[in-house]
Amino acid sequence: MDQSTLDLVRDSLVPLATGLVRGTIPLTIASFAIGMVIALVVALMRLSSVLVLQGIARFYVSVIRGTPLLVQLFLIYYALPEFGATWDPFPSAVVAFSLNVGGYASEVVRAAILSVPRGQTEAALTIGMNYPTTMRRIVLPQAARVAVPPLSNTLISLVKDTSLASSIQVVELLRKASEIAAPTYEFFALYSLAAVYYWIVCLVLSFGQTRVETRLNRHVAR
Amino acid sequence: MRRRTLGTLSALALTGLLAACGGGDTSTSGSGSSSGSSQEALTFGTEGTYAPFSYHDEKTNDLVGYDIDVAKAVGEQLGRDVEFSENNWDSLFAGMEAKRYDGIANQVSITAEREAKYVFSAPYTVSTGVVVTRADDTSVTSLADIAGKTSAQSTTSNWAQTATEAGAKVEAVEGLTQAMTLLKQGRVDVTVNDQLAVLDYLKTSGDTGVKIAAETDDRTEQGFVFRKDEAETAQQVSDALAKLKADGTLAEISQKWFGQDVSGPAAG
Repeated sequence: MDQSTLDLVRDSLVPLATGLVRGTIPLTIASFAIGMVIALVVALMRLSSVLVLQGIARFYVSVIRGTPLLVQLFLIYYALPEFGATWDPFPSAVVAFSLNVGGYASEVVRAAILSVPRGQTEAALTIGMNYPTTMRRIVLPQAARVAVPPLSNTLISLVKDTSLASSIQVVELLRKASEIAAPTYEFFALYSLAAVYYWIVCLVLSFGQTRVETRLNRHVAR
Repeated sequence: MRRRTLGTLSALALTGLLAACGGGDTSTSGSGSSSGSSQEALTFGTEGTYAPFSYHDEKTNDLVGYDIDVAKAVGEQLGRDVEFSENNWDSLFAGMEAKRYDGIANQVSITAEREAKYVFSAPYTVSTGVVVTRADDTSVTSLADIAGKTSAQSTTSNWAQTATEAGAKVEAVEGLTQAMTLLKQGRVDVTVNDQLAVLDYLKTSGDTGVKIAAETDDRTEQGFVFRKDEAETAQQVSDALAKLKADGTLAEISQKWFGQDVSGPAAG
């Protein structure tokens, strides 16, 4: 790399960080938070004894896992306006990513709930707890411990998947890199810098995962 | 512990919601900024990464370029605000069909196929296409020589069609710079693109690994393109372009970006 490229990279540190802080990170946090709510609801639907709810949940997970994320983004952004729903790029991306995370994470949540021995639920119901309380106080806290590693995977994937939002006009890290690279034709340098930024975010998240795991495991004797 | 977990979760959710409300300011400002003009803003889709036609200034980060200047001049002529919405080339038409903007300001070449589906304004650029090869490649001296070679193109670009018709095998890429990279890496043999864009690339990047090997014989005209239901707008834009041509504004913008008048002959 020659001097002018290095200068460009240095001058791009802040603009790219802006793309990260104003695009990538809010997109990730909003989508993950909403996605987790969807995941919990869908998991409970699949575990319920009501066949209709089970069917809806199965169908949803099947569609989400069976179609590419980019296609889901395009459908929400370009196809929904045909039906009169024209959303701005950012909310469109949040909806698409939330639905996607919800589909994948629901399977994680379902597996985690199933990992809590059935006997505990029965015992709780026997002593007079109702179903919601049993879930909230007995099952979910234990399931959370099991779910942390795979959910961290989902979150880390999501950080990188948000780069797809650049294809529907959301100005995030990757789009910012393209914008700076375009008039200078320094795509290699700018994309490398973007890669480093993504990597740093994921390192931080991995560190957070370790912390959460340690905390949730502290009552479990090994 | 449970309560704390719930607290953390709700804090997360809250942050997310706040971000969803506050973080939505992309370059796409929707509507509602009519400063004194009676009509609503004229909205264009544009790449924002296609120098020197539509890109972000390195220093100021503003959206600038030849197409941006022309579109703004048209807006001024019509007394309407002009707003831009940035999108990848391959998605520009999809965005227009989804009514996310009225038209496209991005050096869209006027072709029969596009005219069948959309409506064009009068052209504001006239240029030719060029064939680019590696600097040490002497096998191409005319467009016909690319037959059987591999060419890097954006698939929905008219240059992809030019390359296909000349008998080349098209390799899909995002844009001009990616095409240049593939070319230098020896993954493709040629790329066909607009002469002005290539000249700007060679000048700005100082790239000596590639050269213009041939010009295509067809002259291409570029205009603003609109959905068919915006035919009236297209007509107004054409009228505005004719006035801007007559009073020398187009020539002036053109001189600023290219050092020569690329806006084509008068009228039209």
